[in-house]
Amino acid sequence: MSVELKKLGLDFLEKYALKVSLMRSNDRIVVEIKPEDLPNVIKSLIEKFGERGVLLSTIAGVDLPDEDSIMINYFINLINLKRYIVLRTKLNRDNPRIKSLLSLGINGALSGECETYDLLGIVFDGNKYLKRGFFVPMDVAEKGIYPLRKEFKV
Amino acid sequence: MTETRADKVVEFPMLVEVPIGPQHPAVHEPIMLKVYVDGEEVVKVEINTGYNHRGVEKLAERNTFYKNIFLCGRVCGICNTVHANCYVRALEAILNVDPPPRAKYLRVLAMELERIHSHMIINAIMAEILGFDTLFMYIMRDRELVMKAKEILTGARVLADYMMVGGVRRDLNEVKRDRIKDILRKLEPRVKYYMKVFEEDATIRKRLVDIGTITSRDAVNHGLLGPTLRGSGIASDARDYDRYDAYGEVPFRLIVRKHGDSHDRMMVRWEETINSIEMCNYVLDHLPQGNAVPDERRLPRRFPEGEAYATAEAPRGELTYYVISKGGDKPYRVKIRTPSFNNIINSGFVYLGHTLADVPVILVSFDPCISCMERVIVTDLRNGVRRKVPIRTLARGEVK
Repeated sequence: MSVELKKLGLDFLEKYALKVSLMRSNDRIVVEIKPEDLPNVIKSLIEKFGERGVLLSTIAGVDLPDEDSIMINYFINLINLKRYIVLRTKLNRDNPRIKSLLSLGINGALSGECETYDLLGIVFDGNKYLKRGFFVPMDVAEKGIYPLRKEFKV
Repeated sequence: MTETRADKVVEFPMLVEVPIGPQHPAVHEPIMLKVYVDGEEVVKVEINTGYNHRGVEKLAERNTFYKNIFLCGRVCGICNTVHANCYVRALEAILNVDPPPRAKYLRVLAMELERIHSHMIINAIMAEILGFDTLFMYIMRDRELVMKAKEILTGARVLADYMMVGGVRRDLNEVKRDRIKDILRKLEPRVKYYMKVFEEDATIRKRLVDIGTITSRDAVNHGLLGPTLRGSGIASDARDYDRYDAYGEVPFRLIVRKHGDSHDRMMVRWEETINSIEMCNYVLDHLPQGNAVPDERRLPRRFPEGEAYATAEAPRGELTYYVISKGGDKPYRVKIRTPSFNNIINSGFVYLGHTLADVPVILVSFDPCISCMERVIVTDLRNGVRRKVPIRTLARGEVK
């Protein structure tokens, strides 16, 4: 799969990649990295493609109680390449924390980080706008419930 | 701090009003913008959300994959076809199903008709916000033609429920095809006329040009999408980079403008409307033969393990669906990211330095689709008086 990275000129990511895969049937390259490497990976992407070439499109958190972790995916649109890259990392489920991309100057992370914190409880260190009740009704938020955690049943 | 200098606080909308009628401009996403002004100048904007979070993603985990097609179609009233399409394509990626060419063309037709009426409605609303009620009426009248075309194609003028895994729900015969072509023939000169009005009218230009300017760097950095991104000079369109359905075959122009102001955003929408009419005509003229409607009984009930990330260019920008299947008949996770989610929440910086009357104009230029924008509350901090005023009064600068 590192061939795929090379083909797109992304071979500089290899040193961070724990695993590289392709999503079935569409050509999204998924690069699994350590949470602490995220700022460096983002910085190197911006260095390579420029500020106008890297658009953070979606942040998607997924609760994985079977693995005792929470997966977080950053879907990044590499505008010049017309391709997506997915940065994936797994966090400890008891205390999910990761560095906020706002502190790296990626302001597009605001909406996704606020939502992911409110729905899944992932803390983004450095994001001062995180608050409960961003989307979740306050009566639910006050009980300390994160609705997208699997133990929360509707 | 800027807050201490402010002597007037404008909060809108404090009143959440439920829109009634299918042609109401906004059917979802109630939101509150707290705008802090110093005199007329906006010094701070807070964007508060959470008034209408319906828990669709959680609900989607309880429904079957197929039921969710209808749920996803109801995330947004105006762009329901695009939502259903994006979700369905994520399912098709997991199932490894490729719809027949005719179905792909018909999907493009439905989605482009939707883009036409969505772009027309936001331009109509912009006209209304600026005080051109007659122009609003005219555009809305002609938009009704598109709604009819959509009804001919899908069976419903608003909520189409047209998408199916492996195809579409209804085929198109010759008679219907000719009726849609006839409608498009009537529509095209009208749209060209409205575009000319927006391009040339001195008052419209005065209210839109150089208002809410976003540089290309800021647009990308804040994750802005769709006409807002393209209006700032960034050539990015999901139809171009993902070429889903028949977008790889139906010719289209990637419309980009450079200045990044409210006027450019609206003009991108008009140009795209004209381009969408051309695309619809192309689809109707080049519709491949064959079956477009799959046999629902033959679709697999249980899904294999897998994940897919689908994108679609909704009228407001790139819409994304991330679906995870762990086997079985229900999804493990469905993540929906609508374009307004980025465009509205991340765009607070654009208002700063503009006057109060520009706030509605800038907000509408993002095509926000928010139902409770009808009123604002103006709080005068000097004497603590709160007044409710219609947004139009605010836009016309009549609030003192």
